Amino acid sequence: MSAHKPRRRRRLEDPSAYANHGTIHVDAQTKKQSPAFPLVAFLWPVKGPISQWVLLPLILMVVGLFRWTTGLWGYSGFQSPPMHGDFEAQRHWMEITTHLPASQWYFHDLDWWGLDYPPLTAYHSWVLGKLGNYINPTWFAIMDSRALDDPDLKIYMRATALVSEYLVYVPAVIICLRHLSHLQHINTWESYIALVAILMQPGAILIDHGHFQFNTVMLGLFVASVSSMLAGRHLWGCVFFVGSLGFKQMALFWSPAVFAYLCGICVFPRVRPLKFVGIALITILSFAIVWAPFLFGVVYEQYRNIPIKHLPMPPILAALPFRLDRDALYYPALLQFAQSLHRIFPFARGLFEDKVANFWCALHTFHKLNRYSSVFVQRAALLATLFAIAPPCIIIFVRPKRVLLPLALAATSWGFFLCSYQVHEKNVLLPLLPMTLLLSGQDGLLPSVRAWVGFANMLGIWTMFPLLKRDELRVPYFALGFLWAYLMGLPPTSLSAYRSGIPGGLNTLTKLIHLSFYVGMIVWHVAEGFVEPPENKPDLWVVANVLGGAPGFGICYIWCVWTLLKESHLVAWASPKAEPMEKKSQ
Amino acid sequence: MDELYPSISQCAVVATVLKVLLFPAYKSTDFEVHRNWLALTNSLPLKEWYFEQTSEWTLDYPPFFAYFEWVLSQPARFIEPGLLNIKALGFDSWKTVYYQRATVLASELVLVLALYIFVQTSPSKKLAHVSALSILLSPGLLIIDHIHFQYNGFLYGLLILSVTLARNRSTLLLSGIIFAALLCLKHIYLYLAPAYFVYLLRAYCLSPDNILRPRITNCLKLGISIGVIFVASFGPFAYFNQIPQVLSRLFPFSRGLCHAYWAPNIWAMYSFTDRVLIYLAPYIGLNVDAAALSSVTRGRVGDTSFAVLPDVTPGTTFIITLTFQIICLIKLFLKPSWEGFVGAVTLCGYASFLFGWHVHEKAILLVIIPFSLLALKDRRYLGAFRPLAVAGHVSLFPLLFTAGEFPIKIIYTIFWLILFLLAFDRLAPASSRQRIFLLDRFSLLYIAVSIPLIAYCSLLHRIIFGPRLEFLPLMFISSYSAIGVVGSWVGFSVVYFSQ
Repeated sequence: MSAHKPRRRRRLEDPSAYANHGTIHVDAQTKKQSPAFPLVAFLWPVKGPISQWVLLPLILMVVGLFRWTTGLWGYSGFQSPPMHGDFEAQRHWMEITTHLPASQWYFHDLDWWGLDYPPLTAYHSWVLGKLGNYINPTWFAIMDSRALDDPDLKIYMRATALVSEYLVYVPAVIICLRHLSHLQHINTWESYIALVAILMQPGAILIDHGHFQFNTVMLGLFVASVSSMLAGRHLWGCVFFVGSLGFKQMALFWSPAVFAYLCGICVFPRVRPLKFVGIALITILSFAIVWAPFLFGVVYEQYRNIPIKHLPMPPILAALPFRLDRDALYYPALLQFAQSLHRIFPFARGLFEDKVANFWCALHTFHKLNRYSSVFVQRAALLATLFAIAPPCIIIFVRPKRVLLPLALAATSWGFFLCSYQVHEKNVLLPLLPMTLLLSGQDGLLPSVRAWVGFANMLGIWTMFPLLKRDELRVPYFALGFLWAYLMGLPPTSLSAYRSGIPGGLNTLTKLIHLSFYVGMIVWHVAEGFVEPPENKPDLWVVANVLGGAPGFGICYIWCVWTLLKESHLVAWASPKAEPMEKKSQ
Repeated sequence: MDELYPSISQCAVVATVLKVLLFPAYKSTDFEVHRNWLALTNSLPLKEWYFEQTSEWTLDYPPFFAYFEWVLSQPARFIEPGLLNIKALGFDSWKTVYYQRATVLASELVLVLALYIFVQTSPSKKLAHVSALSILLSPGLLIIDHIHFQYNGFLYGLLILSVTLARNRSTLLLSGIIFAALLCLKHIYLYLAPAYFVYLLRAYCLSPDNILRPRITNCLKLGISIGVIFVASFGPFAYFNQIPQVLSRLFPFSRGLCHAYWAPNIWAMYSFTDRVLIYLAPYIGLNVDAAALSSVTRGRVGDTSFAVLPDVTPGTTFIITLTFQIICLIKLFLKPSWEGFVGAVTLCGYASFLFGWHVHEKAILLVIIPFSLLALKDRRYLGAFRPLAVAGHVSLFPLLFTAGEFPIKIIYTIFWLILFLLAFDRLAPASSRQRIFLLDRFSLLYIAVSIPLIAYCSLLHRIIFGPRLEFLPLMFISSYSAIGVVGSWVGFSVVYFSQ
């Protein structure tokens, strides 16, 4: 028998502390306590000591139920020929990775959802395809299974999305919040409130379990990376971040801030070249590990004489100033590597796809951009992006504090989303994630942060509405959006965060901006739902959505940069309060 | 008194969102049953309602429910006129689904209101609040109403309202009236009627001091109001001389002893014993009725006949049911407290569920819901409630057999069981009497067995046997649940009679 170990007793905080954290509202006269917003009410019974071994499974079951029931609804491209949609793309990759040699993965019939994600996605598809083949081989039969809409296949695919999320994203978020709350001295109870809020974020649920994609794997690896960096394990942070990039190249949105932060810790407060070398080596090694199985597979196939000579040379290789020897030993691996890069970064595609609420698409409405050459537009996009990400990256470089990380990541990814090239409306999930993580930080549940996080999320799903509508996901959109707003005590369900005279209240300008956007979104929904657009402007409501979304996201970007500047204490006028602590940073 | 969080309305909002997300889920033939009733009440004159038989799902609920369907059919005209066509069998356009599912949600407001009143009138709001939430979030109601499709939330709301109003002398009459109306909505509640009869008789119609002195005004008030309710519901059909036809629709005695799936009651154990005896019969020298063999092996046939054990007639089940009900009612008559009344309602539910003819497994709610109102009274009640909560909900699993709904029923039920059994465990006050030896250990073991059982029945069986022996998981679940229900019945009876 092991010695009796007394349980750690949790500190009981006094109610005024909770009030100052924005979770409990204390009535001025009666001193009666009440939850500041409904989500707090749901965790009210566990305010005292409760075993996390009970609370955590219960939370995970509930958020899982909302995910699974969302999955009962439609998915992208259901019975909509000729191309169907993302669901078919993911299914198709499971088909080709399990049935074709690796050397064909990035070459096979590119017009039918050719693989255009990095190798981790391919491995993931391979595993899921193998498992699916055990259950029903017709789901992923080569060529014959295209555009399959078997209801059992849908359930299998939904289950894969859910399981992938629970294996990657959910544990990452849980551990990340542990580190954040430890770093910022947040009590466990409030950290759980933030956890539920983050896991119930409507955008991620709607896209992954409704529209159908595996974003949560990429998001989860990213959160794992943030979590490692918050814990001071920077090398692990690199590994996970490369994993995130290796799953979906969209993780590039965050890479400037990650890069700036990692450089920052090597320079401030003193220059540490060895640390820098370590980070660089690990990063390169991680990339090599991500690509290695794929390239080994290719080399092995070469050894088995599976022909690759007929494969076209990707433009990256063709543009090289010297001629490559097609018989050289290294050629197959080089060819495949170049082809995967070519597929992952499709510069041949346009500035934006569909309508997306970013700067370029909004500008295009008034000033047609297709009059300029694509090279010019690409350069303009590059410059604008650099300009937008420079402020947050510089701040996090000069002040590489762990607590600033989520803000810097949010600001940088907003800049990227607004100004870069080839952006999808779904990419708004990338800035939304670090921004939503702010809920678990210092003052995260006070109106001053909660209202902003809520504003960004509500605006985010609103800009995805045209996409979700095509997928027959209107009801889940309204249901989950309403639910999240309700739980967080935000418009359109409640104005409680916009009251005056509460701790962490908002200033008048913020209230005005937020409420006018909320009113605008509601008016837009009414108009979109009941008013037919005029004959000559069939896209009127979609364009209106973009024109509303882009400035709203711009405001979110500005708020993130401004808050980052304030919290960094770089300039005295931005942060008037006396220098508070960061007790245990670095 | 500080407020209770999360409040009933907060839980109702979140639960409603989940139920809205369940709109496209699997729906049973009950969906078409109710669509047909919407159509026939809307498009036919009243005197044809109980004769209409275009669809095989003829109207077999009492008249108030038919009126309720008529009311629901009025807005349907503006939303989806197609669903009101009697000839459109199996019509389920998405607007129909949205509309019918939304009517279930809207009618469930009655339950929310009833629970609110129940909490407000309880001496311990804290305990009542938790019981109320357990009913509001009941996996039984979620599975039956919002996936399978029925209007139980509304009906049980009325039952709870009626039970709650019975707590107060001044609202006893209203309680009786609401229960009479409930009987005219769905006659399954007749099973609980004996408890109402005895309680209203003793507490309302007879003098509290002397049971031989009736209170004439109260008798008249109660008699007249119940008469008015019945006239309002059956009157029009009596006017057309249709009462025999209506009754033949309401009480189809031609159905078999066990329902298509075996409800976990005594007869399921009886059938199970019979099946086991088929194999043992040659060794112990019993006669096997060869004709019955083929019928029993399916395990799903409505008309079960027994190979070894004697057959059971409706009369037998009726007598057994009534006997057990009368035993508990004698105690209620002698000591008519509100807790005794709720206990008697629960025991009437138990007796009819365990011994009734053609009992459907959905009827377990007749036991679980009244019992939930008492479960927190003290730890002895809770001890009897635990196996019932597990067995009752597990027995509902075979209702949903589609892969997509499988995780929902399992996860939601496990969530509910963990949450409420722990909450109840933490809150239930200690009993003044000694607990029953080993009962707690037994119930813990029983609950633990449910996990491998569910795993076997839902996954392993298909992997091992494929499509063969498909009755086996059903039989396991119903036998397992029957043990739990019977065990909790015995436990509750002990508590009830020793109180």
